[in-house]
Parts: sequence; C-alpha cells; structure tokens
Amino acid sequence: MRPTDCSYQKSHEWCKIENGIATIGITDFAVSHLSDLVFLDLPRKGASVTIGESFGEIESVKAVSSLYAPVSGEVIDINKDLPDNLEWLAQEPFAKAWMIKVKVTAKSPDLITAAAYDAHCQAEG
Amino acid sequence: MLLRVLRDDPAPAAWNMAVDEALLTLAATPTLRLYGWSPHAVSLGYFQRLADFTDLPSGTPMVRRLTGGGAIHHGDEITFSLALDTHLLPRDVHDSYRLVHDAAIAALKRHGIASSCLAAGELPAARPSERWCFALPGRGDVVTPTGKLLGSAQRRIVRPRPRVLHHGSLVVRRPGLTPFVASIADTCANADDRLEHAVREALVEQIAAALGTVPTAGSLTAPERALAERLATARYGDAAFLHAR
Repeated sequence: MRPTDCSYQKSHEWCKIENGIATIGITDFAVSHLSDLVFLDLPRKGASVTIGESFGEIESVKAVSSLYAPVSGEVIDINKDLPDNLEWLAQEPFAKAWMIKVKVTAKSPDLITAAAYDAHCQAEG
Repeated sequence: MLLRVLRDDPAPAAWNMAVDEALLTLAATPTLRLYGWSPHAVSLGYFQRLADFTDLPSGTPMVRRLTGGGAIHHGDEITFSLALDTHLLPRDVHDSYRLVHDAAIAALKRHGIASSCLAAGELPAARPSERWCFALPGRGDVVTPTGKLLGSAQRRIVRPRPRVLHHGSLVVRRPGLTPFVASIADTCANADDRLEHAVREALVEQIAAALGTVPTAGSLTAPERALAERLATARYGDAAFLHAR
C-alpha cells in the first residue's frame, strides 16, 4: 500500500508537500525495476530544481536513469547518507530513503494520487 | 517497422559519445549505429572516478560515457549503439540486455565463433581489476572460455519520452590496456577485416530481427548532427565533464 498523503509522477517519483516544503523520493516500483543499485547522485543544498527536469541520477548494475523533479524550487536539504546506504531504497522508499527536500515555488500539474499511480504501475507491469 | 542503421567511420571519442546522446534525445526511428574509435580511447562509465585511472599512459584519450558500468579501452572492436523507445525492448532491463546479447551470440555463431550468455553461478573467480567493464562478467554477459567478449551498458530517460540508449563493445582483438578481455581473435585465427565486417553485418541482421524490424541504411538528420556538434564541444570534449567525478 503506497502512502495516500503523497503525490506521484508516472516517471516513478513521489512527493509529499507539507507547509510549502516537498519531500521527494522514488517509489518501490522504480526500485524493484532498477534492481542492484550502485550509485546515486543528488543535487547540492541550495540548488534549483525545475518541474520535469532531472534533479539527480541513479545507476543500477545495468542502467543509468534520471530522476525527474515533480516541483520547482530550491533544494533546502538532501539525504546525504542515502548514497552510501542504497539498500534503504528497497527497505523504506517512502521514509528513510527520501532524497531531497525542496522549498516549492510550483508543482507539476501532472502529479497523480496513490490510487491512480497504483493503476499506472499495474498497466506498466 | 524500420531500423535505421548508421555505419560510421572511426572517429574521436567525444564525437562518438555526442552522436549517441543526440540519437537518444532526437532519433525519431529506432537507430542502430556502428562505429569505431580513432584514435583508440578509454571510455569511463558515467559514475566512475577519473582519479581511479591516473595510472593510464600519459596522453591516453579519455571520455566519459552517458551510460553506466565500467571503463572500456576501445581498440579493435565492433562498437554499436542502439537508441530507441523503451517500449520496443522487453520491459525488464535484464531481458532487454538478453535480446541484444542473444543477437550477438547468433551473429558470432554464424561465423563459427562460439560464445554464450553467462548464467548466474558461473561467475569466474579471476577479476583482474573491477574498474574495467570486461573484468566483471555478470549474469547474462556474453562470454567465451577466455572471458567476457561483449561489454554492454544502458542509459534510460523518461522525458521527453521513455527512451533507451544501449552501448555495446564487441572485442575483435585484445586492447593493450585490458589484455584480460576475450576477443574474436582468441578463437578465430583469421580475425581479419573481412571477418570483422561480416560479423558486423550479421549483428545488424540479428538485432533487427530480434526487434522485429527491417534494417535500412541511413544517416544523421540535420538536427541530430547539430546537437551532436554542440555536445561534442560542450559536454564530451569538455574537461569539466570528464573531471566531474
């Protein structure tokens, strides 16, 4: 069961917005499809992210993939311990494995609910 | 569906990587590109640290790839890139590798070169240096009794639409910096230019067939070439990108 207080992108990032701050990560579906993660690259604190543009990159044994921002704004915090503990992504993708926190200036109009995201994942297989 | 096939002359490393990124970004049709390296060069996986390669001979041309994995010394090899929409490949990443690897094995077999996909549990003990792609045969890799024969890596993007860039390096003769790799020449005494050409064309046929496509010779479009020219200078030819990690 995916958290219902999060919004989702079809590119498999999740986003939880509280008091104008978005906490962002990737979903269990993304993690299971990437498998065998080896590297994660996140932006620096103070960097700007833009809706739909890459905010980081992740490498599994077989592929490098981009991570896409669901909001625009300034990165105010990063989970600096995550790149050295990538197993957290499989264990707690919606909690301990959050990636960045962003002070939101705009959010993507394409964010979907947990139920809609579940349906999207089922369709993707 | 057509598979556009680009048969490019050997070119400098920055140009090669720039063209592949341009194809990932812009190619409107599935595209298989075959190319070579002049001068021979070392490509680093996207996340690799340049500091781990300070022991290479001075002046060795180097470039950072957009794809992941380990470094490759590109010498006498059949290099190819496949750029296409994600949905044209099997959904599972491992299966997408398998499609390309099976095609390579079939192409090699047609010319009397035996190879196979490495099954889990058959990993060789000898790993001379894990920074090199060919030192690390993994599940599904194309191997011969002497080692790993085909290096593969992918880049996947979702926007503007889901796309995959698959890199492949099929070794013809062992390159100097990575003598532990397998090569076609190991098992084939007549590994000359004619055989290399024949294997290359068999690879085109097999990949096209595996994708259910018809191979058709093509060339870069003007927008692809323009983007490649920008990327060759601004990214792959820029020391800052090579030194980024």
